[in-house]
Amino acid sequence: MFKILKNFSKSLGGGKSAEAKPAAAKAGSLLDKVNKGAPVSAKAEPPKSPEELCGITPKMAKDEIKMQLKLLFRRYNRSASSLDAKLRGEADQMLDAIVQLREKHFGEI
Amino acid sequence: MAEYVGIDLGTTLSGLAYLKPDGNPEIVPNADGERLTPSVVFFESHEDVKLVGSAARDGGEPDRTIFQIKRYMDDPEHLVEIDGKKWTPAEISALILSKLKRECSKICGDITEVVITVPANFNELARKSTIAAAEMAGMKVKRLVNEPTAAAVYYAHSQGVKGRILVYDLGGGTLDTTILDVEGDNIRILTSEGARHLGGSNFDDILLEAYAEQYKKQTGATLYSDERHRRRVLHATEDAKKMLSKLQRVNDTVANDQNSGIARIDLTRDGFEKLIRHMLTRTVFLVEQALDSAKLKPADIDHVVLVGGSTRIPKVKTMLEKMFGKTPKSCGNVDECVALGAALFAKKSARIQEVCNASYGTLAMVYNAKTKEEKLMNSIVIPKNTPIPCSRTQVYQTSEDNERVIEVDITQGEDEDAKFVDVIGRITLDVPANRPKGCEVAVTFSYDENQRVRALVVDKQSGRSKEVAVTYKGAGVLSDEELKRRSHHLRAMRIE
Repeated sequence: MFKILKNFSKSLGGGKSAEAKPAAAKAGSLLDKVNKGAPVSAKAEPPKSPEELCGITPKMAKDEIKMQLKLLFRRYNRSASSLDAKLRGEADQMLDAIVQLREKHFGEI
Repeated sequence: MAEYVGIDLGTTLSGLAYLKPDGNPEIVPNADGERLTPSVVFFESHEDVKLVGSAARDGGEPDRTIFQIKRYMDDPEHLVEIDGKKWTPAEISALILSKLKRECSKICGDITEVVITVPANFNELARKSTIAAAEMAGMKVKRLVNEPTAAAVYYAHSQGVKGRILVYDLGGGTLDTTILDVEGDNIRILTSEGARHLGGSNFDDILLEAYAEQYKKQTGATLYSDERHRRRVLHATEDAKKMLSKLQRVNDTVANDQNSGIARIDLTRDGFEKLIRHMLTRTVFLVEQALDSAKLKPADIDHVVLVGGSTRIPKVKTMLEKMFGKTPKSCGNVDECVALGAALFAKKSARIQEVCNASYGTLAMVYNAKTKEEKLMNSIVIPKNTPIPCSRTQVYQTSEDNERVIEVDITQGEDEDAKFVDVIGRITLDVPANRPKGCEVAVTFSYDENQRVRALVVDKQSGRSKEVAVTYKGAGVLSDEELKRRSHHLRAMRIE
């Protein structure tokens, strides 16, 4: 792996910012720009199943499911206290799906 | 003067403890004679007074009563409007802290410096808001300490145990799990994990829904139509929840305020535990996450310690017993041990080895030589749970020719995916012109004992560098001037 520190504001057309300036909002737009290739659907999509939300497929072994659910729990539990309100909202939905799948595949507590 | 003071600024209850001359901590009651003060504020409309505690909780108008403000400490947009004035969560919390300071100091002496506890997963804004609240209340924050760490310090002190302890702290609003090693007076934190909005008040809300459903079924009517009545029913569900920790079955009756009749609510412990099962499953995930973070298995844990009012729910105990193969122990009074531990922590902090609460890093394009793909990633420099104090450096390379300005985004969060981390600051460094891409830039993060983080960026070729304190200065954070102004205003208020 090779890491490159890119000058994002230059490559994305941003101006020079002040030192250690609060960047939460700015960074959000930076990420939006980075992710701009993602298709935006004009129609409302049907609700996804917990499996679809969590990327669980019928072919996955139990261990793989367990690993995936743990990874997603770590991600979305952190996101539940993100500074980004949209991400916080998404996190709740994902955490519910993760719990449902755990109970389905590994039994109730 | 009280030299070592700890405050648990809780979601539902707050408490203050000080260290007695014999080295043991003690809870200081408020002027109402209560050891713990409900974290509720009522803005009286007839008199210029703010009521805090039981009086605020039990009476007053719902529109002027603020419950559980701690849940919004991390929300930069949350404001409470009363009589045209907008209050931040930090200001509301400052009213609670003011009551504690003013009333407890009459018993234990002047309180100028305190240790305040916070949930393990409190973000940068919530931590800053907590410090601001204390400053507005006229107290300097010596340290913030994670709630389960404080509880573990108290447990180790009072029980004289040694070994590896897992603290499961399920309070009114959050769940925290900490794993630590105790050897005499020396404590080493291995990991702290937390979950937001997972606590007793969530269970109350679930019970409230069940009550409303039952009421509708039996009477065909809606159980509550306004906030005042909803609060009343919520109070009843909270009582029922507490009863179910002692009894297998509870019968209750409820009515709405429209004379639609009375409904009989028949609750069983089993039924309640089914209702909250999905929340408890989340807590199991968090315990597993803590074990994974510390690279431990359940069998490696010597003691499981319960903290927080919601651990009185029997299912919590049986669930953990099943997981660890040993009976969890209560940390004395589960509602008080966090404040007691904070007072101990104020004195013993030098003997407690803590860890970074979050990972710090920067956004970088990462090239994978195998797949030949380049991807924007969160490149972690200091991982969460690294023992503090610590300092780590990561070297990066510029990606374009003739870059004149290097900008380093400072991230907080564990995920490699940049979408899932917070960017809390940026360092800008001017560099000489006409350089090819590939110039090395060293990014160093340092984390000191007081949880202060610094970032240093060094352009290796030119030797130019810039160092800043890493601190969130975005929305929701008051400027120093504003903080001073509001502190002055708050100190002149009548708070009872």
